[in-house]
Amino acid sequence: MITLGSQGKNTFLEAVNTKSGANVLDCYQCGKCVSTCPVSQYMDFPPRVMMQMIKLGLKNECYMANAHWYCLTCSACSGRCPREIDIPAVMEAVRHLAIEENHVNDSTKVKEMRKFHEIFLSMIKKYGRNYELRMMAEFNIRTRNLFKDMHLAPKALLKGKIPLGVKPLKSAKAIKRMYEIAEKLEKKK
Amino acid sequence: MKKLTYFPGCSAHGTSEEFDSTLKLVLKTLEVELEDIPDWNCCGATSAHVMTENLAYALPMRNLVLAEKLSNTTMGIACASCYQRMKVTKVHMDENPELAKRINTTVVEEGTYKGSVDVKSMLQYAYEDIGLETIKSKVTKPLTGLKVACYYGCLLTRPKDITQFDSPEYPVSMDQICEALGATATEFDYKTECCGASFSISNTEVVENLSGQILAMAKESGAHAIVVACPLCQSNLDMRQPDIEKKQGITYDIPVFYFTQLMALAFGYPIDQLKFPKHIVPVEGALANIGKVVPVPEKVKKPIKAVEAESEVK
Repeated sequence: MITLGSQGKNTFLEAVNTKSGANVLDCYQCGKCVSTCPVSQYMDFPPRVMMQMIKLGLKNECYMANAHWYCLTCSACSGRCPREIDIPAVMEAVRHLAIEENHVNDSTKVKEMRKFHEIFLSMIKKYGRNYELRMMAEFNIRTRNLFKDMHLAPKALLKGKIPLGVKPLKSAKAIKRMYEIAEKLEKKK
Repeated sequence: MKKLTYFPGCSAHGTSEEFDSTLKLVLKTLEVELEDIPDWNCCGATSAHVMTENLAYALPMRNLVLAEKLSNTTMGIACASCYQRMKVTKVHMDENPELAKRINTTVVEEGTYKGSVDVKSMLQYAYEDIGLETIKSKVTKPLTGLKVACYYGCLLTRPKDITQFDSPEYPVSMDQICEALGATATEFDYKTECCGASFSISNTEVVENLSGQILAMAKESGAHAIVVACPLCQSNLDMRQPDIEKKQGITYDIPVFYFTQLMALAFGYPIDQLKFPKHIVPVEGALANIGKVVPVPEKVKKPIKAVEAESEVK
């Protein structure tokens, strides 16, 4: 059962507002963001509904949604929002809060998208730059979809579109240290 | 001789090598000397800001700090995604010194962030710092007859308070550059629609759908080719085009150029220096239109004028 307003403060709304720098209460539900969003068709709760859910303090429902994972941060919505709300920042705030609270989304697609980002960041941690071939290989292995995009591989490799190796940074250690400090900062908040 | 700090981005060594190498040709003609940032790192791209706030600022900040050590006042960035991450970091750090101080603790050896270097995309640099007149004056082989749809994607002009460049809805800078080269820019409504970006690998279906719409609209605008200034847009529209065609049952056969490739071509560089064999969709068909007599258009085309970003949004 969802209880509205009886718990006193809406801490979720406050957390999202603080993190995003936006004021979700500004939203008057016109829906312009939904019609603008290129991926709203893939979202279970499009941006307008997400905004309302945040206003109502429905934290778990927001975390369970796939909208904040599908958001491409293309900023088309915020550019057209008559209330000038930074909607991508709101989506990002919900996502970051969910990650910080170790929330795991049930959707397979979301799991795959998250895995991709984790692999990408691990490449940067290791080499300081992106190692595309290894990233793609690891993504295929870890999502158990070995042959994904394999039909593109011969052409892409032959044409040098995807280099075979990566030249790691001289100061790769500095990047590793940066990751460690950034992680500590994340926990301190 | 102008000098410019240059940030190529990871993709310049692979996916978008043709962007990097033709950019260097073009800037040689335009008498701009590039100075590389020593030992630059990845900007974190989409993944860093999707997953964590601190790392998303920290990775670009190291590059900004390194760039500040060089004597130039501007950093030109080839990749649109790198540009956006770097610009977002710069704007947020300059607005919020406390945040800058906190993020600076992650950049241990390189030094203190000062905010003294301006960040521009190479498109913005070509348009604002070099200018249409200078570009026009270097054209030796005009691209007359070639009709192009200029595709900007999301990152070069949005959000407007971050990029502070061109219009977030209907930008015209690339159109004007292409027209300066002698090509014709078509009226293309999907200029700033998203191509699906980083979902290329993790959610290909979305990219095929979104990029498919862009290809369809470009074709409908009568363009022979699409022109871009972003490596990910190029790769989504070019590399995924055969799959999109198969899925939709339509043949587009529309090559996707970097604007620097067309500039180099118009500046008279031989075709074997422009890396056209790296394209998945062959370019020959589109380039065959250059020099052809263009039929008189039925309706007189209005000249494209820069629109004030402000009036567009409100």
